[in-house]
Amino acid sequence: MAGAAAQPAGKGGKKALDAELNLVPFIDLLSCCIAFLLITAVWTQIAGLQVASSGGPPDQQQKLENTIDVKLMLTDKGYALTMAGANIDIPKISRDGAQNFDRKTLSEKLKTLKASLPEQGSITVQPEDAVAYEDLVNAVDTCMGEQLRNVTVAPMN
Amino acid sequence: MAIVTPGKRPGERVANSKVLGKRFTRAKKVGHASLMLTSLVDMFSIIVIFLLMNFSANGEILYMTKDIKLPSAQHGGQLERAPVISVSADSVTFDGKQIATTEDLQKGDVLNVPELEDVLREERRRYEQIHVNDPEHPFKGLVNVQADRKIPFKVIKRVMFSCNQSGFGNISFAALAKTAGEGKPLAAN
Repeated sequence: MAGAAAQPAGKGGKKALDAELNLVPFIDLLSCCIAFLLITAVWTQIAGLQVASSGGPPDQQQKLENTIDVKLMLTDKGYALTMAGANIDIPKISRDGAQNFDRKTLSEKLKTLKASLPEQGSITVQPEDAVAYEDLVNAVDTCMGEQLRNVTVAPMN
Repeated sequence: MAIVTPGKRPGERVANSKVLGKRFTRAKKVGHASLMLTSLVDMFSIIVIFLLMNFSANGEILYMTKDIKLPSAQHGGQLERAPVISVSADSVTFDGKQIATTEDLQKGDVLNVPELEDVLREERRRYEQIHVNDPEHPFKGLVNVQADRKIPFKVIKRVMFSCNQSGFGNISFAALAKTAGEGKPLAAN
């Protein structure tokens, strides 16, 4: 079974230079590939935000000298960022008739923190009981976006 | 009145005539049609390339259900294959099996969920038994949590506590991957 079949000899017994491709096995192969790829296709891309739970394994992160304890609390009023004894309240903003957490301001504050403490990589997120999973994920996502990759989630009380 | 095909309708005698009848007989269609193979192969190739670009060797890690609407995240990593705890508005399931109802988890002040702890401990024991002679794959305590976006943290907190108690300290929150320029602006989620 050849991929290309030579055409019969031309005039004067000379071999023809043109060759015909056998398209049928090629189309068969492509059809099988399409069927296989369609069956195994994953249409929704899922991301994973890896966090540590408070009380988890203690050897996950080493305390560096140039780092501080940073806590981000999620309350019904908004974000409350606590670091080195300072408290920064980021109240909720109203958008589309609903009160939402202000992720943009939080991102700016974390950027400032990261600029002053480049080695800082850990943060503790403490949501209230009523905070929705979406808001928790958004807060963790914002922290990770500002290179605070070691996120610990702990209950507020 | 009988329904007839439109067009010229000669009389029976004219239609049967050897000389005149030929004018009214319809030409027969050719029996075979040639396929345009080049464009077909082109189309197949484009589809194969598109599907190959979307191909993921990991396959489906989560059980996507209608009653769980995941939030989106921009900076998430790739999910690893691990036990999955799903929290919908109605139930809490572990690898597809219902463990408790969400309503029960919203009640009370206790943190642990005994049923969930039991299955997690069993899962851990099973993993350690399988990998007893495999030091390259130690137990890392990975668990994937997927919850509906409206689920309150009180429920998530209890699930996390149970995971922690059973040795599953590395929790991955599942979210829909979103690229930077996609969807709603960052200003307010």
